Amino acid sequence: MVDRTNEQWLADLTGTPDEQSPALEDLRERLQRGIYYYLSRERSDLSGLSSTEITQMAEDLAQDATLRVMENLGSFRGDSRFTTWATKIAVRVAISDLRRARYRDFSLDDLTADGDLMPSTTANSVTGTPEHGPEDQTERDDVMQKISAALKAALTERQYQALVAVALQDIPLEVVAERMGTNRNALYKLLHDARRKLRTYLETEGLSTNYMLDLFQD
Amino acid sequence: MGLPDEQLRKLIDHIFISHQDGEMDCEMCSCQLECLAEKVAAGASLRDLLPEVEAHLRCCPDCREEWQALLCILRAERDGNLTTPQN
Repeated sequence: MVDRTNEQWLADLTGTPDEQSPALEDLRERLQRGIYYYLSRERSDLSGLSSTEITQMAEDLAQDATLRVMENLGSFRGDSRFTTWATKIAVRVAISDLRRARYRDFSLDDLTADGDLMPSTTANSVTGTPEHGPEDQTERDDVMQKISAALKAALTERQYQALVAVALQDIPLEVVAERMGTNRNALYKLLHDARRKLRTYLETEGLSTNYMLDLFQD
Repeated sequence: MGLPDEQLRKLIDHIFISHQDGEMDCEMCSCQLECLAEKVAAGASLRDLLPEVEAHLRCCPDCREEWQALLCILRAERDGNLTTPQN
């Protein structure tokens, strides 16, 4: 594999077919090695797959990532190595693909089927006994009820759905955004606004951030 | 039927503890990642380099997952651990 400067990468990838072809192959191979390393070493959820299956997956993802890099060549600013920038794109391609596969059957409708977000119990779910002293527990229960009420009073339906999906169900923003017909950046902003609205609302209910941190940060 | 205590605590953590985030969004964060990842892979501290990105990564699980993946690949590359997979 040829070592190239950033300028050489750009020149070769946009050059004649004789220049472009080996550069594309070098790029694809580099990306494949990185993706393979990530999938095989860092993804415990893929541990059930054989080495051949991981290799095939890395090959397919590297192919997609190479195309994505080529589509975005014009946005490379040159403030890192070209290969680092390309690896960032490859990581995004790979992780997006894994998210889509994992949450293929996820629906936003599943999230609100349980109705109100009221605490169902104040006892420790394992021991069946309160985790804190009676006064402390009462104070916490009161706060939780205020938060449940605030979720309904302060948030729009979309903010509520997004917050439940991301904060409670740990669904990736990218997946939730797709189901909501928006993009991840817009969803992040929507969640940012939702959190700010909730904090403001709860402040007016006498629940300041510092109070909450004291009460719930064990 | 309501949510158990544990989930409401998770929500409280999301609203008050984990998410004291600034104004940086995912796109702004993403633009900085490759440059920062090279420096962090070489030993620099992300918090010292750009605390706004560090704050965003703390708040955004998607960006955090991608950042950690990029960093692990760069570190493996630096250590000579990236090999060509064999079919």
